[in-house]
Amino acid sequence: MIELKLTVNGREERVSIEPAETLLDVLRNRLHLTGTKDGCREGECGACTVLLDGKPIDACIYAAQAANGRRIETIEGLSGEQLGSVQRRIVEASGVQCGYCTPGIVMTLTALLREHPRPDRQLVRAALSGNLCRCTGYTQIVDAALAAAGDEARVES
Amino acid sequence: MSVIGSSSIRTDSNARIRGEECYAIDYCEPGMLHGAILRSPVAAGSITRLDVAAARRMPGVRAVATASDAPEVLAGWVLLDTPLFARGQVRYAGEPVAAVAADTIEQARAALDAIVLEIAVTPAVVDLRTARSSGSPLVHPDWRTYLSPAGLDFQRDGNIASQLLSVQGDVDGAFAGASLVVADEFESGRQYQGYLEPKSAVGIWRDGRYQVHTGHQYPFNVRDRIAQFLQVSPSSVRVICHAAGGGFGGRLDYGLEPYAVLLSRLAQGRPVKIVNSRTEDIETSGSRDNSLITIRSALDAAGNIVARELLVDLDNGAYTGEMALMPSVSLLIAAGAYRVGAARVTCRLLYTNTPPTGAFRGVSGVAMYTAVERHMDHIASELGEDRRGFRLRHLFRSGDALLNGQVLDDADILRAGFEAMEKTAPWAAVSGRTKPYRGIGIAAAVWITNATPASVTIKLNEDGTVGVLTGASDIGTGAFTMGVTQIVAEVLGIRPEDVRLSQPDTDVASYDIGSQGSRTTRMVGGAAQNAALEVRSRILHTAGQLLQAQPEELELVGGRVRKAGDTGPGIALSDVALANTWGDGPIIGTGRYADKPVAYNPECAKGLVFSTFPTPTYHVHLAEVEVDPVTGNVRVVRYVVVQEVGRMINPAGVVGQIQGGVSQGIGFTLYESLRLEQGQVVEKTLEAYRLPLALDLPDVEIVIMEHPSADGPHGAKGVAEPPIVLVPAVIGNAIADAIGKAINKTPITPEDVLAALREAQA
Amino acid sequence: MEFLSARSVEEALQLLRAHGEAASILAGGSDLMIQLARGEVHPALLVHIEGIAELSGIAQHGNLTIGALTTHRQLATSARLACGYLALQESAASVGSRQTQEVGTLAGNICNASPAADTLAPLLVHAATVTLVSDARGERTLPLQDFLRGRRTTARQGDELLTRIELERVPARTADAYCKVGRRSAMEVAIAGLAARLTLSDDGQYIAEARIATCAVGPVPCRATSTEEFLKGRRPDERTLREAGALLAAGIAPIDDTRATARYRRSVMEGLLGRALRICTARVSITT
Repeated sequence: MIELKLTVNGREERVSIEPAETLLDVLRNRLHLTGTKDGCREGECGACTVLLDGKPIDACIYAAQAANGRRIETIEGLSGEQLGSVQRRIVEASGVQCGYCTPGIVMTLTALLREHPRPDRQLVRAALSGNLCRCTGYTQIVDAALAAAGDEARVES
Repeated sequence: MSVIGSSSIRTDSNARIRGEECYAIDYCEPGMLHGAILRSPVAAGSITRLDVAAARRMPGVRAVATASDAPEVLAGWVLLDTPLFARGQVRYAGEPVAAVAADTIEQARAALDAIVLEIAVTPAVVDLRTARSSGSPLVHPDWRTYLSPAGLDFQRDGNIASQLLSVQGDVDGAFAGASLVVADEFESGRQYQGYLEPKSAVGIWRDGRYQVHTGHQYPFNVRDRIAQFLQVSPSSVRVICHAAGGGFGGRLDYGLEPYAVLLSRLAQGRPVKIVNSRTEDIETSGSRDNSLITIRSALDAAGNIVARELLVDLDNGAYTGEMALMPSVSLLIAAGAYRVGAARVTCRLLYTNTPPTGAFRGVSGVAMYTAVERHMDHIASELGEDRRGFRLRHLFRSGDALLNGQVLDDADILRAGFEAMEKTAPWAAVSGRTKPYRGIGIAAAVWITNATPASVTIKLNEDGTVGVLTGASDIGTGAFTMGVTQIVAEVLGIRPEDVRLSQPDTDVASYDIGSQGSRTTRMVGGAAQNAALEVRSRILHTAGQLLQAQPEELELVGGRVRKAGDTGPGIALSDVALANTWGDGPIIGTGRYADKPVAYNPECAKGLVFSTFPTPTYHVHLAEVEVDPVTGNVRVVRYVVVQEVGRMINPAGVVGQIQGGVSQGIGFTLYESLRLEQGQVVEKTLEAYRLPLALDLPDVEIVIMEHPSADGPHGAKGVAEPPIVLVPAVIGNAIADAIGKAINKTPITPEDVLAALREAQA
Repeated sequence: MEFLSARSVEEALQLLRAHGEAASILAGGSDLMIQLARGEVHPALLVHIEGIAELSGIAQHGNLTIGALTTHRQLATSARLACGYLALQESAASVGSRQTQEVGTLAGNICNASPAADTLAPLLVHAATVTLVSDARGERTLPLQDFLRGRRTTARQGDELLTRIELERVPARTADAYCKVGRRSAMEVAIAGLAARLTLSDDGQYIAEARIATCAVGPVPCRATSTEEFLKGRRPDERTLREAGALLAAGIAPIDDTRATARYRRSVMEGLLGRALRICTARVSITT
């Protein structure tokens, strides 16, 4: 077993892991943060998207040991007393159906809006190209992202 | 204020948006073992050696199961033809041969590697053309001995697992006297449901019963399948559902559940969890069936269709599932939405040595409408007639009948659909554009609302909220967390968020056929409405005593009961609930709902086991595509849906179903290839099996037509399946329009398009 | 499987010297982690180099120098590439998804040596060199084309680390482009890919130099020299582009695989060349 130190959602975590574990394994099985979803284990569906030092990555193809000492944000970290704007807007726009892709999509859109506070429709769709959703056809999710961008803009002004 | 017709938020969205929802794959039990399944690597053969002795001795291994650990029986939804593990013969690549449970998944996989499996390969029936050829080997030499558990009368013969034969009118005469005969052949591929959560199950042998945790569309089907496979009574099996990450038909029959419970029994009751890898899931999901369809029509001198002939062959794969019902569907769609005169329809479901096929949203209707509506375009072009005008000339009118004899009282809705489409996308304008490599397509459909009855129990909680108990499940559609919830809230004058839903548990809830056939909002909603009415009546009775009023003077508003027209506070539901709880007992209501049987002509066909389209709905779709002449890639630049829904309970939910259904249809038409080569699945990962991305899909333009049905909750009809059934048809029509050449297959790949373009240019 | 993180090039080189062929180098892992999960590779040791800051970044002093660990995302968004190296930018932006672009590195794409690697064709048209370092033998630089030995094989020795990639400075009246063929709009392993770099004559009427490289139509991405020679000195008119396309298609050796047939690849390539060259011509006229 190997000792890892991770900062997960602002909290320092020490975990013992097997060498071959992915970041997804550690989050779900060691830290019981099951909001990060297991969809394909090959970096194709984006259900396991988390932010590593602020950047969206597929946790299923990221070696847990490579994340040693680094900062990770998961869906649980965004879900405080109040929902974030991206989350609130997705709910309002009926962008959740089965919900299995939802946490990954929230993480991707959160990263997008931090980098591009006022994206257009095409940029949102491009940003979502690594997140599969089989239920919605994405339209209501794209609507939600644009609405959330509008919220952020209002907060700033 | 009514909540019917409002876009109330699905009641599980808070848990889902926070990542708190517990899906089946997240569910764990104390002391849980991990299971894995050894599958046949070949499509057909005899097992000459299966030795698990070494595997049993591997570290951490607690149980190994093969056919010899299970009763020697065959099971199945509508035909008993399926073994739990291959016994003697393997009939498809991917068929379970053995299973292992161990302390860790790595140990379980290592033990699978230690199993000695030798198979003498035999000639495989690798596709439909082989299966129907005269010299084909039989996939099931013992087919005559198979029984239908429901006593269904469908015709079988060798590799034909089910067939339908129908002749109506003088077909041969009509063809002999025709001015024009137009014929087409269509080939349609398989489609993987592609739900984002892979299948899983946690099985437990406890107290002499099998218990299993899963995410499912139809938990009672799992219960019955386990009971069949393991030869126990259905009530000796308990299926407990958790949230399911999508289904689309892929979670209607059993998956890993029987293996998980059997392993648990062999491991002295330790719970066993099995999770599909994505590749296993793709290989064994029970995908949409591939098909070969031959269609021809006879036309008279005036250009009217006077006869139609259809030969439909559907691929069953190696075992039957629910597929034996599908040949019937072909009769119901053979005419499409049009008058076609005399008709001869033959539909066969054929066994092959390939992974079993199954249900996927719109089932065989997708391939059938593709054939019928692509054929309509072909006829119009032969006649030199406008495609829309040709359709309108043949379009059903109210009072016309489907080929099963079922009269469509309200088929004029189709004409209203074309008119609504004309307002949104005027045909002359959209078809008049002269841009090269652009094309449009249009098509129309009639679809079903599955009418299997339902029952629901509702209890009034002491705090004035209600609990709803059913065997129905919500696999993501919102039919339950929006539709049924709103129907209950409406009756009781409470907020949708005060309606608490339970996940199905076969020990607790009464039987339900599950989330399928666009039925949940109408059928379960109807039962829930009746249950809520009973609760309401109890509430009014008690409140009347408390408020010293007659029940009929009272109304339920905002979680309170008051005299109608009164502005006072009245009495809270919680007070009524408490009064009952300690008075004459807590309030519960039960409700059932069944639709009136649909009249049809039982003599219309032999082998008709799925006989009608109850509560039909009407649909018109239009697509505009752009073809890249260099690569053959097709972009859907515009997609318009005119859909009749009865009554919209939740507009945002309806829009979500339409957008999602069209997206799956676009995926099937342009992106998703699930090919088989020598019985082996070619596209085994989500890299190769391409689900459409946000960038690939248009924002669908949606026009809703409301024609409430006379019965059912608020006149609601089915919503979720129709959006997919026309997509390959309209996109196929649009591509043919764009490149001047028809491509009569689905999916239509860039390679197909480029080859057709080169042919058209040559 | 052991896992060791190197904090500097020296540390990485020492680890590679000690463990040689038994080790795999792990950068972002977007290819290697999948190969590990599928059991396609079985290294005894992973040498994790992702954290070596000195290997990341883009600089231009004459030639363009790109650090080995520069990610696809950095390439896709770097302003430095917008001037003359758009093909590389476009190729990096087409690799996988936003998530994999964040971790996948240029050196990873090179060393993985997939026949379909997107960035290789653009690098080839810019006559890229790669620099390798070993603890025992020091540094060596060789043309990328020579580094690529075959399908998934390179000239890298077990103890060597690829540290940087250099691209030629772009002459005047020159522009480039990358065109990729896939079924979806993103998340595609290239079915075919083509990079072009076009330099026009002083009067803008003739092709002074054309460089063409292809991927996914042979075991190794490579330049199409006979097509390049054909184009040199000609006007970039429709007839020339068509003839050049036919020449290119005749000169490649694609295979049938699950993603496409050889026939389709050849057929697409024919038209893709014209498309790429038209983009280049348009870009030259915008920048001059």
